[in-house]
Amino acid sequence: MTDLVLAWLTVFPGYTVPLLLASLGLVISERAGVLNLCTEGLMAVGAMTGALMALAGYDPLLAVACGALAGAALSLVFGVATVVFRADHTLAGLATVALGLGITGVVGRPYVQKPFDGLPRLSDTVWGADLPRLVGQQNILLPLTVLLLLAVWGWLFRTHSGLRLRAVGEDPAAADVVGIDIQLTQLGAVLASGVLAGLAGAYLSVAAAHVWVEGMVAGRGWVAVAIVIFAGWRPWGVLLGAGLFGGAEAAMLRLQTLGLDFPIYLGAMLPYALTLLVFCIACARRRGENAGPAALGKAYLRQDKH
Amino acid sequence: MTQGATRSQTPSGPQKKAGQAPALLLRDIDKAFDGKTALSGASFRLDWGEVHALVGENGAGKSTIMNVATGVYAPDHGEVIVDGRDVPLRSPVDAVAAGIGMVHQHFRLVGRFTVAENVALALGGIGRRIGIGKAAQLVKRKSAELGFALDPEARVERISVAEQQRAEIIKVLLLGAGIMILDEPTAVLTQQEAEALLSMARRLAQAGHAVVLITHKLQEVADHCDRITVMAQGRTVLDAAPMAQTSLAQVTRKAFGEVKEQEPVQPGTLGGELLRLENLRVRHGAVTLDGLNLSLRAGEILGIAGVGGNGQSELVACLNGLLRPLDGKIFLADEDLTAASPAKRRKAGLRVVPADRFDSALVRDMTLSENLALTGLESGRFGPWWGLSRRSMKRNAENSLKEFNVLGGGPETRASVLSGGNAQKVLLARELAAGTRVVVAHSPVRGLDLRSARAVLNLLVASARQGAACLLISEDLDEILRMCGSAAVLNRGRLSPPLSGADLNPARLGELMVGHA
Amino acid sequence: MLDGTLLIRRQAVPGWLGASCYAGGLCFGLGLSAILLVSMGISLENLYQEFVVQTFLTSQGLGQTVTATVPLILVGLGMSLAMRVRFWNIGIEGQLWCGAMAATWISIHDVGPEPLRLLLMMLAAMAAGAAWIGIGLALKLFWSVSEVISTLLLGSIAFFWVQHMLFGAWRDTVTGFATSPSFDPAERLVLLGWEQVHSGIWIALAAVVVCTWLTGVSRFGLLAKAIGANPRAARATGLPVIAAVSLFVLGSGALCGLAGAVIAAGTEYRLSQSIGAGYLFSGIVIAFLARANPLAVLAVAFVLGGITTAGGVLKVFYGISEAVVLLVQGLVLLSVLAAQLFADYRLTERKSG
Repeated sequence: MTDLVLAWLTVFPGYTVPLLLASLGLVISERAGVLNLCTEGLMAVGAMTGALMALAGYDPLLAVACGALAGAALSLVFGVATVVFRADHTLAGLATVALGLGITGVVGRPYVQKPFDGLPRLSDTVWGADLPRLVGQQNILLPLTVLLLLAVWGWLFRTHSGLRLRAVGEDPAAADVVGIDIQLTQLGAVLASGVLAGLAGAYLSVAAAHVWVEGMVAGRGWVAVAIVIFAGWRPWGVLLGAGLFGGAEAAMLRLQTLGLDFPIYLGAMLPYALTLLVFCIACARRRGENAGPAALGKAYLRQDKH
Repeated sequence: MTQGATRSQTPSGPQKKAGQAPALLLRDIDKAFDGKTALSGASFRLDWGEVHALVGENGAGKSTIMNVATGVYAPDHGEVIVDGRDVPLRSPVDAVAAGIGMVHQHFRLVGRFTVAENVALALGGIGRRIGIGKAAQLVKRKSAELGFALDPEARVERISVAEQQRAEIIKVLLLGAGIMILDEPTAVLTQQEAEALLSMARRLAQAGHAVVLITHKLQEVADHCDRITVMAQGRTVLDAAPMAQTSLAQVTRKAFGEVKEQEPVQPGTLGGELLRLENLRVRHGAVTLDGLNLSLRAGEILGIAGVGGNGQSELVACLNGLLRPLDGKIFLADEDLTAASPAKRRKAGLRVVPADRFDSALVRDMTLSENLALTGLESGRFGPWWGLSRRSMKRNAENSLKEFNVLGGGPETRASVLSGGNAQKVLLARELAAGTRVVVAHSPVRGLDLRSARAVLNLLVASARQGAACLLISEDLDEILRMCGSAAVLNRGRLSPPLSGADLNPARLGELMVGHA
Repeated sequence: MLDGTLLIRRQAVPGWLGASCYAGGLCFGLGLSAILLVSMGISLENLYQEFVVQTFLTSQGLGQTVTATVPLILVGLGMSLAMRVRFWNIGIEGQLWCGAMAATWISIHDVGPEPLRLLLMMLAAMAAGAAWIGIGLALKLFWSVSEVISTLLLGSIAFFWVQHMLFGAWRDTVTGFATSPSFDPAERLVLLGWEQVHSGIWIALAAVVVCTWLTGVSRFGLLAKAIGANPRAARATGLPVIAAVSLFVLGSGALCGLAGAVIAAGTEYRLSQSIGAGYLFSGIVIAFLARANPLAVLAVAFVLGGITTAGGVLKVFYGISEAVVLLVQGLVLLSVLAAQLFADYRLTERKSG
């Protein structure tokens, strides 16, 4: 039993980290009032770019960074469409997902199923050989993610610029009056979410699977969108939500390797069903009360008559 | 809080004193919204050390010109001169930097943030980045200086409207505003709170600030202002006249045109009881309606006076069936409608004209004939369920539009194109159609020009004459006094017993509106 | 950031302006896609050959296009119905899977007499699609659960369910592949004798007629319009909001389920893992470009059917992934969305001073 738990704990971060990163990005974007549904596409682009760079023989960390950049680049398209051209956030988000999946399909096709070395475990690095097994099995992105979580939380709720960003999402008219550039802020927030979603995608390919497969994001981007709502747009809630989904996914895998006669695909379905269930409970509990940023998904224009 | 206000020391003011260049000079301002003229050649002059009244009808351009002065709207033409300097106001921050602060009708406060967070946010806008703790200290100090209590740690959406207003004023002062524009500040306040606010405005002026008071209430102007500017139809029709040499009659004529003293409506004959509320209790957010009792007879127009936000919207939503009461009963001529759906209430003859017609009554993007047919679909008047008769919808609309004298559109016009008055007439045409027994009208003439307002009120009177019972919920005492044979006051979720005859007078209503009982 | 430009919201958008912005956005998106394809090494002439001549102007190509159009019409109509009552049905693929599974179940278990089998399959597919979206609808009505999330997750769940069946109980014992056993002849939609075009086209056309009636002629169409434009007013005026929304949303699910059965019984003759892919975005693009108008859905689905067919050809002859269709859809959707700005707002330069 202890072995099982230990084994589960070892793989747990691998399933949680990408969701956590993507959801954190969404928190930033949606706290600034931009309803962001494009994560699935951004993650795909990040994963593919990371894999391509790794296959080309670049340093895995550089590959991960390129994945993040690719996510940012695609999110810029979404940002310009919604913030500058004031397109409907939901539709533009879905269109961006289509773009992302389309790009990865077209560009990544020749590189499918080609394994590469990817990001090494901590225990395989020069300085990490003596780490205990639980930690040693992880890679460098885990501590980075923890730092990012702390940074995003501290920035949003403990700094002046975080206050300004949240003001944009809550009440753009009030934010405008105090000289905050609504569009620049929202564009910045969308870009940040793109970086984090790209990072999450690159984690999937470069750090976890060490291979690029089409459709490897497998709906995790959508799960991230659900987690953010479940979490009430709070970084710590996101940690809980990502942990729940990642934990369930990791547990399924562990149970299968134990040779338990449990149908594989029903097991793979379980985390999604669990997410839906938890999401419903969260919605039912705060029924009627809108916990999200007050101006989420609404276009603001100073010259409109208020 | 009023006592604190009178005892407090004089607030610190800007360096500028009276007798120098005007604090604010707006010259020849034009502004149009997509072709609709809001201002044409308007001007405004404000001096240091004065309280300046800006008066006019709704839509006369008062708020628009002040929004130009605060950089919210860009004027199509004209110049803005602040303290003798030609200042390009490209954004609200430019105006703040130039020392102009405005307390809008809808406060520019972030509801989910605390007062201190809002202040920190605002100060950051002019480059003074301070922590929340420091901001809280500033708020405490400033509120002590002004003589009222305000908790800097309180979330804005949780505090009363009067407190929100104080937070907004403190924010504007901390931003260093020498010029303070107050947009209808007393509309949301009780009498006592309003007095306190106006005396604070006076003290600010004495300290060297320049204060603009946009208001509808002429008595406030007479009692508290030094000079007055009147606007009508986007123009300045009375430019900075000293109050001492101006009579209110003159102001009224300039602002509202020639208005005959309105005769009170003669009550018709009253029939049996139609609407009865028994011990109605409702809770919605921060508002609670506490044990409402009310009886309304056929042919009666009963007024419900009171400052907005005291439970009016909740009462309307509850009567409409959108809000379930915790307790109590709603009867329409002995039929229990407490748990009935909006559709069932409508069928029983209960019709509601809500305060915001485009929010919860009319559909902007549908034509008038569609809007007018919406509520009659189930009756089969416009064809069976499997086939609508567009022709009968159109005929119905033509008749209604003619009967209610709706101008500016035909059956195929989109509702969004209509002016407020005509849209309201369309709504009344729908709600006062056959089968109406009780009409609940919430601020039915707010925002309408005088002529439309009179037409709309006359429609209500006519329906009462035909035997409908009418509940008129309004903040406008004059409207209540003219229309209603009896009226009750809604204050903090409680409804006073109805006043009628000699008891129904402004003084008594005012007392009930501010009373804390 | 954009302080140099003033955007002024138009009170009413003139028809010609709306139309030309739409056309402009469409041309921009398609143009961009063409440039992209050319940069991938397809000459303009080949592009014209593949996307126009071979898909619309030859009998064989047109036949393929029409075959591809049939399910597209159904999902496009499905998305349109939901859009009309402002319900984001992002779980189109899930309903499609459920419909296909229901039809396959009928086929495998030989439910009902053979002459009625096909009808039963279609009805079961509609019921399954409606039931699957019904979960999302119920969650929204009772607990205010965002339908974007619930329908999406239900989509993923349905796909895992399909895989579970295909790798388990339904695996084809003859071939050993992860597909269901082949349908009996009586369980297939009849071919019309022109390429692969099957009688599913009559189902799709009938659906267009029903949807046109529902949205344009019946009372529910007007109700849906009111609910879509101002749900709060619709509730306050006592309109049967829940009934109308349920009707449209369940109809949406039923049409998507039907699409699944039509693909399975019309072209694949079995349930496989590939039949549902890509229909989510197709449905959204069709419904949006058609402005949720059933007749326009017919036209847009036809064009998209052509693009899909050409995408398949590009894969075989040029080695370009069929995901290029997804790319084109995303580009066109984004540019039409962005072009809307010029219709909704008047752009002027801010005068200084």
